[in-house]
Amino acid sequence: MNTSFIVLGGGIIGLACALELRLRGAAVTVLEAETCGGQASGAAAGMLAPYSENPESPDEFFRLCRESLDLYPNWQQRIRELSGIDFEYTESGSLYAAYHEADLLALESRLRWQRQHGSSGELLRGAALVSAEPGLSRQVVAALRTPEERHVYAPDLVGALIAACLNAGVLIREQLGKLELAAWERGVEVRAAGDSGEAVFQADQLVICTGAWAGHLPSELGLELPVHPIRGQICAYPWDTRQAGTEPVRHMIFSSQGYLVQKANGTLVCGASEDVAGFDTSVTERGIARLLRWNRSVLPALEDRQPIHRWAGLRPATLDGRPLIGRLSRAERVILAAGHYRNGILLAPATAKLVADLAQGREAEPWQQAFRPERFHRQTVHRP
Amino acid sequence: MDIQDQWKIGDQLLTSRFFLGTGLFPNPFVQTQAIQVSGAEVLTFAIRRVNLASSEDDSILQHIEPDRFRFLPNTSGSRTAEEAVRIARLARASGLSDWIKVEIAADERTLLPDPIETLKATEILVKEGFTVLPYISDDPIMCRKLEEAGAAAIMPGGAPIGTGLGLLNPYHIGLIIEEAKVPVIVDAGLGTASDAALAMELGAAAVLMNTPVAKAQDPVKMALAMRLAIESGRLAYLAGRMPQKRYASASSEYHSLKIK
Repeated sequence: MNTSFIVLGGGIIGLACALELRLRGAAVTVLEAETCGGQASGAAAGMLAPYSENPESPDEFFRLCRESLDLYPNWQQRIRELSGIDFEYTESGSLYAAYHEADLLALESRLRWQRQHGSSGELLRGAALVSAEPGLSRQVVAALRTPEERHVYAPDLVGALIAACLNAGVLIREQLGKLELAAWERGVEVRAAGDSGEAVFQADQLVICTGAWAGHLPSELGLELPVHPIRGQICAYPWDTRQAGTEPVRHMIFSSQGYLVQKANGTLVCGASEDVAGFDTSVTERGIARLLRWNRSVLPALEDRQPIHRWAGLRPATLDGRPLIGRLSRAERVILAAGHYRNGILLAPATAKLVADLAQGREAEPWQQAFRPERFHRQTVHRP
Repeated sequence: MDIQDQWKIGDQLLTSRFFLGTGLFPNPFVQTQAIQVSGAEVLTFAIRRVNLASSEDDSILQHIEPDRFRFLPNTSGSRTAEEAVRIARLARASGLSDWIKVEIAADERTLLPDPIETLKATEILVKEGFTVLPYISDDPIMCRKLEEAGAAAIMPGGAPIGTGLGLLNPYHIGLIIEEAKVPVIVDAGLGTASDAALAMELGAAAVLMNTPVAKAQDPVKMALAMRLAIESGRLAYLAGRMPQKRYASASSEYHSLKIK
């Protein structure tokens, strides 16, 4: 591809797009206002769980999630090879814990369609459930196990992805401060006005991957993007399974109130409390306390444990819960890839593939139109 | 015009005729906004997925100010009267509400309600002092039996839950409304604003929905559209529609236009 690209935003989506474009032959520069992976990407629990995230139906969003899960084995292997950096990628499977007999109806309906779409899931109860996850509370009456789901340690994956980009020849510029789109019609020009002075960057095309901040920039393009930050608060317990009394938690465990996932670094990550707090990434007492109170009814061993680490990230939420991925009809040099909400880590490979396909001039497939960034703007006549 | 147009379930005075479900929203921002613009006073949720030990911690209810709404918890997921009754008691014991929407599915593909089990659960829960709002198919006789069992309102479905097919049998819904002495709330299966308006034009006391709002492309805008449709459908019902005629009749009569 004989084209130059600016990728705006150095989170996992921006980096994944940059790497894919570079590997297809483009010249790519990533511009990051602060630090790559410094926002939601570094705060994520890294769960690759399309089945648990889509309990209702196999719609377009599920399809994108599942396609991305299928891309993960090769994608993460390629990042390892390009970066020479190791990171956790654990094929743990997941459990969705049910606390009422009445939950079974929903779990059975979910299992029925998901088994037709790549899941080898099953409902576990009684002795089978205890032997699958011995530490689970006996309050859990049944659980849906999905062996295909897995998780990565997101901060290390992002670190490796940065190294992979650099080794592949992507230019990365960080700490640029406020970034402004100065031109997009005959060519793309982005101006940085940070502490390190003014800088101007030019390219043929632009990919906007600014996550929760995506609502800001394209206002210059006359396009209002409905992206809102939702704060997600997370905590991590020390969970060193070499110590007596700390049994390994084998699966990622989901419930209606949150999730728990054991990481290879000796922590048990617990999330997430969602709330609306603008761009504030501080942690609140209420947000963490509700997780701690609930966790006892998932793993009784957590009764007297305290987390060692608490943090928050901003999930880029859209009006319909689906990401915005596509070329803008009103600015043909601009491709958008943002608004991945709870699923940025999972959706990175599929988003990068779709963005690179669009960059090479391919049309989005009909089902991918569900992610068109301009879908919220219906045609109206006589609009002032 | 009687702008107030208030109505009652049990002793509770209500102004809004829009009952909104709290599930399926893409995120708390959209959920909060949609609830706000809907003007709903009654919110429903599935008891099975709520943290009953501490509802202020619940992943969904934590975003809702409990003092501003009347909660209508539902027994969705239950398949027998016994199960529904057990769940209803749990909800009341937690202090959330003594209103209960009885929802007992007979079939996991259509989620259509089991009329026999629904009637049984309604009888038991009424005796225990609950304000019972059963969700039921649009069968006029079944609705009559539920009313006789002491249901505080009857909630016939327009179509199976979550299908968005609209009112599949307006004739039955009309008959149910004609005969009932308690409020009839059309519940389930609606898809868009005209469905809600039609239900109200038929004389329904209110409309209950979740999926049509939560799964709209812009749930906040759809919540407002539904509110307006419910209000205008209600007004059209109160105003009384013109009779339908087979042939045209000019709105200005011909002889009045003749120049003499």
